[in-house]
Amino acid sequence: MKRFLIAGMALTTLASVAVAQSFREPTFPATLNNGQPIELTYWSWVPNMDKQAALFTQKYPNVKIKVENLGGGQSGTYPKLQTAIKAGSGGPDVAQVEFGYIPFFASTGGLVDIGKLLPANARSFFPAWTWAQVSPDGKSVFGVPQDTGPFAMIYRKDIFDKYGVKVPTTWDEYAAAGKALYDKSGGKVKIGNFFSTFAPWFTALVWAGGGQMWSVEGDGYKQTLNNAVSKQVANYWGDLIKKGYVSTLPAFSADFWNAVSAGQVATSMEAAWGTGSFAGSLAKNPGEGALYRVAPLPQWKKGQRLTTGNWGGSTAVVTKQAKNPQVAATFALWLMTSKTSLVAGWNGAGLFPAATSGLGLPELAEPSRDPAKFFGGQNVAAIYGQASKSVNTNFAWSPWAPTVDASFQKQMDRAVKGEITFEAAIDAWQEETVAKAKADGYNVK
Amino acid sequence: MKERSIIPYLFLAPFMLAFFLFFVAPVLYSVYLSFLIKKRTGTFGVATDVFGGFSNYIRAFNDSDFLASFGHIVVFGIIQIPIMLALAAIIALILDQVTGPLGRFFRSAIYIPYTIPSVIAGLLWGFLYSRNLSPVNYALTALGQEPFNFLSPLPVLLFSIGNIVTWTWTGYNAITLYANLQTISRELYEAAKVDGATGWHVIRYIKLPLMRPALLLTFIFSIIGTMQIFSEPFVLRGIGFIPINITPNTYLYQIAAQDANYSYAAALAIIVAVVTFAFSGFFLRMVNRSNV
Repeated sequence: MKRFLIAGMALTTLASVAVAQSFREPTFPATLNNGQPIELTYWSWVPNMDKQAALFTQKYPNVKIKVENLGGGQSGTYPKLQTAIKAGSGGPDVAQVEFGYIPFFASTGGLVDIGKLLPANARSFFPAWTWAQVSPDGKSVFGVPQDTGPFAMIYRKDIFDKYGVKVPTTWDEYAAAGKALYDKSGGKVKIGNFFSTFAPWFTALVWAGGGQMWSVEGDGYKQTLNNAVSKQVANYWGDLIKKGYVSTLPAFSADFWNAVSAGQVATSMEAAWGTGSFAGSLAKNPGEGALYRVAPLPQWKKGQRLTTGNWGGSTAVVTKQAKNPQVAATFALWLMTSKTSLVAGWNGAGLFPAATSGLGLPELAEPSRDPAKFFGGQNVAAIYGQASKSVNTNFAWSPWAPTVDASFQKQMDRAVKGEITFEAAIDAWQEETVAKAKADGYNVK
Repeated sequence: MKERSIIPYLFLAPFMLAFFLFFVAPVLYSVYLSFLIKKRTGTFGVATDVFGGFSNYIRAFNDSDFLASFGHIVVFGIIQIPIMLALAAIIALILDQVTGPLGRFFRSAIYIPYTIPSVIAGLLWGFLYSRNLSPVNYALTALGQEPFNFLSPLPVLLFSIGNIVTWTWTGYNAITLYANLQTISRELYEAAKVDGATGWHVIRYIKLPLMRPALLLTFIFSIIGTMQIFSEPFVLRGIGFIPINITPNTYLYQIAAQDANYSYAAALAIIVAVVTFAFSGFFLRMVNRSNV
């Protein structure tokens, strides 16, 4: 028995040596917590995260990870996380937080600055822009980048084929295709869906167009939600909604998935992890996946260099309630940089690795595993990889993200109902959010 | 002698302890919180709570979203509470007449909605209200009509929420009223019959006046319950946009659980409590006066 174990360990070591040649990952300690048993609680809403985290226990048998899924971000995990931070107890050791919410949670004072707990070269395993997002002040490090959400377009190939419409590559073509699908289907098929209850979705489109919403000026912030790109994007979609080419079903609702599945929505602008959502939500219908494909995000100008935005993308933060911050930080780093974990994250949830080495993993292109398998074997990682390299990397966030989201929903609802124009809604969004942030004590212009 | 005087307090102690820990202490803590404001330094600094006097209260009375939430709930209450209580009273009167297994069956059946957790109820109703999946809209589309939007505009949304609340609480109130009816001495009815009273006379001149205390109780409870509506609109968010200030409590949730501004939320909570108290007190007084 013992001999088997030794042989097994030898094999594992050999395997990791072989991998190390093509894949760069940090050096991890041989033991954690002096080999004493410890259990970490990890709050994450990534599908199949329990399986991915269990791989860490295979490496360090004394560290157990309890994964708890409390629901997506702002509508699930965040309210509970910040309540636990305020209460000073009941929180997890490690938690999933999106890039855009790092400043918000940093300002609650509940996160550990893990800069000193990670190896000195930790940042070298990530693209500079993702590291800038977890270290907004350039000094403290509040999280380890997990995945990015480069934006691309998921579309129903069968619908475009059926009506003989070309898959659009620019927004002009997209609008024309919208009209064609609408006319040819008698209004049944909408080309896309506007996620009027998800500010980060809209933000990604503005991001793709080069718009900047927040910047630091002195010891205060400047917010420009109503920048020119923002208005251009809002007017463009508002026009399509008015004409009936685009629906406004709430994102991730049963209504939305039902309409997509029924062929009533021909495209959806989705982040890389959206491929996992599609595979997860629609795989129940046999053969349906083969109908979907991914194409680069439509561009404003024909033939321009591809530029795109980012929706979500998450990090793992360590809370001040962590039993052993060192173990927690090591777990977070391992989860986001080790090959074993990154492959599991891609296959289990379409997590597009933030780690630089992760982008080149051949496993991401494997057509026999999800999410590629769901998309008819298409190499979706290649499209998102290209998108990832085309993300405007200077994008910064504000700490009042929840206010931004709530106000966006309110103003967009008015615009969708036709009470105000989309452009006016964007102005109202800016105005309302600045007023609220000021009332909450932020120095913002 | 001395020992004797301590004994009642010893018996009371467990209650008083729990009462202080779980009722008085949180209220006092909220009052304390409500006087704090956030002070932030730099752009990424951790916010600290400092004493801010009445600034949270001043902010609340200038917060149009918060004030509007009271408007919503008052309109809601004026329409929903009378409908629900009238239904409950009618059901109670009917149950009071029906005896035997059928009566027992309906007594239980009418109570069932109340036993279903409001989140589950909200999800079930959410399905009925959803744009594409609702059976109602399915039928409408099959007939060539546009699907009906149950969540907008605001009056429709309030009506949709009112539906859920009425469905949940009518049975509960009916049973309360029914229990009250059961305590009325049957001899009164016989005496009335001897005097030539019809069924309607019995209801109008005996049952309804004697139901008054129970009706008043359910009425006050309904006012308090209405002020606290939260889970129904909250769960409906999954199927579409629900204004965050549809009720005072959903707005409070946004401030506390989303914006993490606990002190402002505490001030709002205290205002909601005072308003609820005032409303119930006002009605209690009005009814008592007309009694004399």
